[in-house]
Amino acid sequence: MRLSRREFVKWSTASGITVALSRLAPAQEPPFAARETLPGAGRWNPAADGKGRIDGVAKAAGAKLYASDFRAADLPGWPASTSHALLIRAPDATHVYTGIDLARLQGALKPSVVVDAAELARIGARVPQFYAGDLFCPIGRTPIYLGQPVALLIFEKFDTFDQARLVLRDGAFVQFGGETGPVSLPNYGAFRFTRVAGPSSDAPDIYSPAQAGWVSPPHVQNTQLPAWSPSAAAPGSPYAKAAQYGEQIRAELRNDKADVLVLEREFQTQSVDPMFLEPECGLAWYDTGRGALEFVVGVQSPYEAGESIAYLLGEARAPFKPKRINAQFAYMGGGFGGRDHTPFPLYVALAAMFFPGHPVRLAHDRYAQFQAGIKRHRFDMHTRIGIDRASGEITAFAADHVLDGGGLANYSANVATVAATAAIGIYDIPKVDVTTVALHTRGVTAGSMRGYGTLQTMTALEVLIDEVAHALPLDRIELRRRNALKPGGRTMTGNPYSVSVRTAEILDKLETHPIWQQRGEEKARAQAGRLSGTGVACATKDYGTGADCSLGRVEIGPDGRIAIYCDHVEMGTGIGTALANRVAVQLGSVADEVSVARVDTFGALALVTSGDPYTMTQAAQDAAQRNPAWVPAISTATTASIGAHVGTHAAAAAARVIFRFGLWPAALDLWRIAPSDAKARQWDAAQWKDGQLLVPGLAPLPLPAIAQRAHARNFVTGAMAHAFSRWAWSQASFAIDGQTWTADIDALAVKRGVGTFRRLDRTNVKFPPTDFNRFGTTYTSLCGTLVRIEIERATGAHRIAKAYSVFECGQALVPEVVRGQAQGGFAMGVGYALLESLPPFEGGPGNGRWNLGRYLIARGSDLPLRDLEIEMLPPLPNEAPKGIAEVVMIPVVPALLNAIFDATGHRFHSLPVTQPMIRGVLS
Amino acid sequence: MSGDPKGRADATLRSKLHVASVLALATVLLTALTAHAVNDGASGGLASPESFASIDDTAARSAAIFIELGKVLTHARCVNCHPAGDRPRQGEQRRLHQPPVERGPDGLGLAAMRCSNCHQEKNFDPARMPGNPHWQLAPHEMAWEGKSLGEICAQIKDRDRNGGRSLEDLVHHIDSDSLVGWAWAPGYGRHPATGSQKEAGALAEAWVKAGAVCPQ
Amino acid sequence: MTALRITINGRSYGPVEVHDDLTLNDFLREYLGLTGTKFGCGAAQCLCCAVIVDDPDGTSHTSPSCAVSAASFNGKSIRTVEGHAKDGELSALQKAFIEHFAFQCGYCTPGFLNEAQVLLERLARKPVARGELEKTIAEALDGHLCRCTGYIKYHEAVRDVILAEPGRYLLAKAAGELQ
Repeated sequence: MRLSRREFVKWSTASGITVALSRLAPAQEPPFAARETLPGAGRWNPAADGKGRIDGVAKAAGAKLYASDFRAADLPGWPASTSHALLIRAPDATHVYTGIDLARLQGALKPSVVVDAAELARIGARVPQFYAGDLFCPIGRTPIYLGQPVALLIFEKFDTFDQARLVLRDGAFVQFGGETGPVSLPNYGAFRFTRVAGPSSDAPDIYSPAQAGWVSPPHVQNTQLPAWSPSAAAPGSPYAKAAQYGEQIRAELRNDKADVLVLEREFQTQSVDPMFLEPECGLAWYDTGRGALEFVVGVQSPYEAGESIAYLLGEARAPFKPKRINAQFAYMGGGFGGRDHTPFPLYVALAAMFFPGHPVRLAHDRYAQFQAGIKRHRFDMHTRIGIDRASGEITAFAADHVLDGGGLANYSANVATVAATAAIGIYDIPKVDVTTVALHTRGVTAGSMRGYGTLQTMTALEVLIDEVAHALPLDRIELRRRNALKPGGRTMTGNPYSVSVRTAEILDKLETHPIWQQRGEEKARAQAGRLSGTGVACATKDYGTGADCSLGRVEIGPDGRIAIYCDHVEMGTGIGTALANRVAVQLGSVADEVSVARVDTFGALALVTSGDPYTMTQAAQDAAQRNPAWVPAISTATTASIGAHVGTHAAAAAARVIFRFGLWPAALDLWRIAPSDAKARQWDAAQWKDGQLLVPGLAPLPLPAIAQRAHARNFVTGAMAHAFSRWAWSQASFAIDGQTWTADIDALAVKRGVGTFRRLDRTNVKFPPTDFNRFGTTYTSLCGTLVRIEIERATGAHRIAKAYSVFECGQALVPEVVRGQAQGGFAMGVGYALLESLPPFEGGPGNGRWNLGRYLIARGSDLPLRDLEIEMLPPLPNEAPKGIAEVVMIPVVPALLNAIFDATGHRFHSLPVTQPMIRGVLS
Repeated sequence: MSGDPKGRADATLRSKLHVASVLALATVLLTALTAHAVNDGASGGLASPESFASIDDTAARSAAIFIELGKVLTHARCVNCHPAGDRPRQGEQRRLHQPPVERGPDGLGLAAMRCSNCHQEKNFDPARMPGNPHWQLAPHEMAWEGKSLGEICAQIKDRDRNGGRSLEDLVHHIDSDSLVGWAWAPGYGRHPATGSQKEAGALAEAWVKAGAVCPQ
Repeated sequence: MTALRITINGRSYGPVEVHDDLTLNDFLREYLGLTGTKFGCGAAQCLCCAVIVDDPDGTSHTSPSCAVSAASFNGKSIRTVEGHAKDGELSALQKAFIEHFAFQCGYCTPGFLNEAQVLLERLARKPVARGELEKTIAEALDGHLCRCTGYIKYHEAVRDVILAEPGRYLLAKAAGELQ
C-alpha cells in the first residue's frame, strides 16, 4: 500500500552550506487533485467495510492534505520556491492610523513588496459586498475594528520573512496619531419576529412571518439601537402591524395576573473563537505568462472564494487582472463555521498579484488567527416568559436580542434572524415577539460558528425553562413535555417542520435515564465538602440555510471501481465517507476515489444563475427558470449541519441514475431478462450484499461483472447532478433511454461507457416557492442532554461526573462519525459553558496578543471521557439523513448551567461560568 | 529610675507608647513597602543597601531590607515556580500553567510532560519559551505562594526547608544561582524581576549582615 | 547560525546552515517539506507540532517543535509521523486510530500518534497495572488539544492497542486481580 511520497532536497555537502530549496523533479509531484482524492485507486480503503474513513489512511500517515502543508515545490508546474507574506494588522481602533515605520527592516530584512490601501486603490481592486469595508485601513483613518489589516509585506525568501516577523511582532511599528474614539457604523440588520396563533392549532394563525413576510424596523434616526415602537413606522405598514401585535404581547406579559407566572431575565453570552487547529493559510501564484492566478486554500465556501477573488480583481487595471483563476481547495484542519466566507483568501490573492511570477504563502500564526479569525457573536438577551400556573403551559414569550457583530458585517444579519427564530427552541408558544439587532463594533468580526446564534438563544431559553420549573414548581421534564411542539405544529415563523419531530421520545429517554432517575440520591450522598447537581436541557436545531446547493458527480469504471466528486468540503465532518456510503447503497460498493471541495468539475451541466435566492420574487424565479440551465444558486457553503442531508444529496441522485440506467439494464442483460418482461421493472426489489446484486429468484451478480457489461453495452456509467433546496428540494424530469425520470434535482448530465458527460434537457422543473423564504426553517433535529456535576465547595472546582446525550438524525450515513460529532460537540459545549472567553475590544484578541494558554478550550481532563453516553435514536422508516453537527453541542451548555444551579442553588445568567465564579457564590 | 510608682508607671507607659509608635511606623512602612513589593511592574529598581542607612535600629533596618528584597521574592517570575500546590503558574496574571503540568515525584514533571520537554537550557524568544538548565518547580517546603513576607523569610532561613543552606549559602544562591538569575532575563513577553541579580544579592548580604531579621 | 546535522526517521540530514531563531517546526516544514508535523499555536500549548526525540539513554520524549530551535537539535535524532509506517505498513497505533474513527479533521493526529508511540515505548520499559491504564493514558495525552473529537476515541484506540498486547505493556496479573 503506497503512502504519499516525499522528495527531499539533495544537500550540497561540499561547502556545508544549504543550496536552493528546490525539490528534485517537481514534475514528478502528483497533481493537487490526486493528493486530495481519497483514498486513491488501489489503496487500502478503510471505509470499504465500515472500518474507517475514506481519508483515514492519509490523515493517520501525515500525508499532505491541508492548505498549510503545501509549498510551491509540491505543485506540478509551479516555480520551485515559495515566498512568504505577512499581513500587518492594526492593534488599535480608536486612534488615527498614520502609517507603518519599517525602519527596523533595513537591508537584508527589507520586504520585496509592501501592499497597502493606496496600492489597492491604485490598481482598482473592488471589495466584494459581503466583505464591505476597507481591506486595508487607509492612512489618515481610524481602523474600523481592532485587527483591521493595514499592510501586506511580501518577502522573497523564507529566512527573511522569518527574521522580519520576529522584529515586527511587538506591533510598535504600526503608528497612530490623535485619538478619535471608535468609528461608528450602521448596524448590520434588525428584525422583528412576531407570531400570534389562532384560537386552536387547526385554525390559521392570526399573524405570522410566514403569512406576512419578514419585517425590519424603519431607520428613523442615527441611534445605536433601532426604534422598535410601532409608532416609528407608517401606520398600516408591515412593520407597524407586526410591532402592534408584538407590543400587545408585551403588554399582556407586563400585567400582573395571579394565575400567570411571568419571569423576566437577562442573559449574556461571550465572544469565543472556533479554535480550529489549523490556522488560516493560502498559497497562490500569478503566472504572468498564462495570465493565470493559481491558488490553494482550505475554506468552507470554495465557490464563493473563487467568485470573491474574481470580483476583487475583476476591474483591476493591467497587469493586476488575471485572465483565469485556477482555485484548488484543500482539506481543512477544522472549520466550525470560521472558514465560511472569511476574507482571508482575498489577501492570499493580493499577495500573488503584487508579486507576480512568485508563489506566495500567506499564513496566520495563532496570534493572528485569534486577532482576525471569525468569532462567535456575543449576545445580550432580555427575555420575558409567561406561564399559566395551573396548566404549566407557556402563554407568551418576548425577547430582545442585541448581537456584537464586530468590525465587518459578514453573516451577522443572518445569525441574528436564525437565532431569533430559534429562540423558543422545542416549545409551542402561541404568542411570541422577538426583536433582534446586530451591531457594528470595533471588536473582531463575528460570523458563522457552530450553532449560529441558536446556541446562545437556546442556552438562555433552557436556563429560563429550568427557572420556570423551579418557580412553579413543576418537574423539569414534565414542563418540557407539556410545552413541546408536536409534529405538524407551527414554529415561530408560522410554518410546520417537514421532517420528523421526535421531542416526546427524546424527553422519555431523558426521563428514564439513570442520571435523571438517581439525581436525588446522588445529591443526598455527595461527600462532605462536595455538592452534586443534575441538569437537563433539550434543543432543536435546524439544518440548512434556505438556499443550499448540492453538486455530485459519480462514475463507475468497467472494473466496478467508483469515483465521486462533490462540491462540499471536508473539515472533519466526514463528508467523503458519507458520500461513499450513500452512493454504495445504490451501486453496491464503497468508492475508492472521493474528491471533495470540487467546484470545477461540473462544467457539463453548464449551469447559469442570477439574482439572490433569498430575496428574489416568485415572478423573477418563474421567468429565470425558463432558461433550462438556470438554477437559483450553483454552489453554496458547507455549513449549517448540511453534510449528510445536502452534501450527499446530488451524488445519491446521480448514483441512482447510474443504477437505473446503467447497472440495472446491465444486470438484466446478464440475467437475459427482456426489457418487456415484468421482472425488468423489479428494481425496487434489488439489494446489494457483499458487493453482489440480489433479486429474489435470480442469480446474484457481482458488481464488477455488472459494471463491465454496462460499459460493454454503452449504458449509463456516470451521472452528474445539481440540486437546490429552499427548505424543500427542487425537482425536474429528464428523458433517459425513452423513459421519463423524475427526481429531486434540477440538472443532470450522463455519461455512457467511457464517453463524455452530456447534459440532458430538463422538463417540468419545480423550484421551491420563493415564499418559503419566509420560513425560519422546515428541517430540524433534536438533542437532549443530561449532566451530573460535582463541585468542591472550598474551591469551586467542578467535575462532570456523568453525561448523556440522546439525539435523532434520520439515517446516519456513517454512525461512528456521527457518534464522534456528538462527543466533540459535548467537548465544545463544555468549553463554551465553563472555560472559553474573549474580552471585547482592547483587552481582547484584536490586540494581537492572545493565544492558547490564555484562551482555554476543553482538554481530556475537563471531560468525562469514560462517562459520556451517546445514544442515537434509530431512524424512522425510510427517513432521509438529517443534520446534527450543531444540535449535539447545544443542550450541553444549558444542562451544565442547570446542573450548577441544582448543586449550588445559584443561577448564573451569563457565560462562561468559571471555577472562581462558582467559588465566589459558595463562599 | 526613682522609686516613684507613678513615675515608673508613666515611664512604662511612655516606653510602651514609644514601642507602639515604632511598631505602628514599622507596620505602616511594612504595609506600604509590601504593597509596593507585590507590584510586578517594571517600574523602579531595587533600593541599594545604603539607602536604608537612616534606619538606626539594626533589627528594623534588617527587616526593611528584607521587605525591599521582597519585591523580588514576590515577583511573578519567582512565585510562579514556588507554588503552594503541585502546579506552576504562568505569566503576569499568574494563571495556572497551561498546558496543565504537575510537579511529579522529582519536581521535574510527570512522565509525559517533563519540564525539559518544552523548557530548554535557555530562553527561546521566537516562541516566547523561557528556559534554564535547571528548570523545575521549587520543592513543597519552598512554596511561597500565598505567604506573607514574614513567613517567606522564616522559611528561607530555616535549614530544614531551604535545602540545608546557611545564611551565607543563601546570599550566594540569590547572588549567583543560574535559575534565580533567570528571573532578571526571562525572555520576550515577560517582565523581569525588579532590579538586577547583583542588586538583589547585595540586599541579601546586607540583610544578613544586619542580623537576617524577618519582618512581622 | 548553526551548521545543523540531525537524524529524522533514521535518515541523516545536513549539515544545513540555519539561523538560531529558526524553529524546529519551520525546519521540518519549510526546509524539508516534512509537513506531517503540523503547526497549531506556536506556543507549545496544543502539541500538534510534537515530534519524538530519541535520547542517547534509549528513552524518548516528545518535544513541541514550534517552541524549540532547530539549532538545539544539532546531533540529535527525532521521529515524525512520516516515520511511523514501516515499508508501507501502518503502525498498530495508526491502524487503531483509523479503525476507531479516532480523528475527524486529522490535524492534531500526528501529535497524538507521536505521544501515544512514546507512551507505548515507556510502558514496554515500565509496564503499569491494568487498573492504572486509563489514568496513565489520560496523563500522557492531556497535553494534546483536539477541537473536533472530544478525545474519547483517541483514548479508546490507545487503550485497545495496549490491551491487544498486555504482556508487553501491562504488569502481570497478581493472583486474584481482575484485568
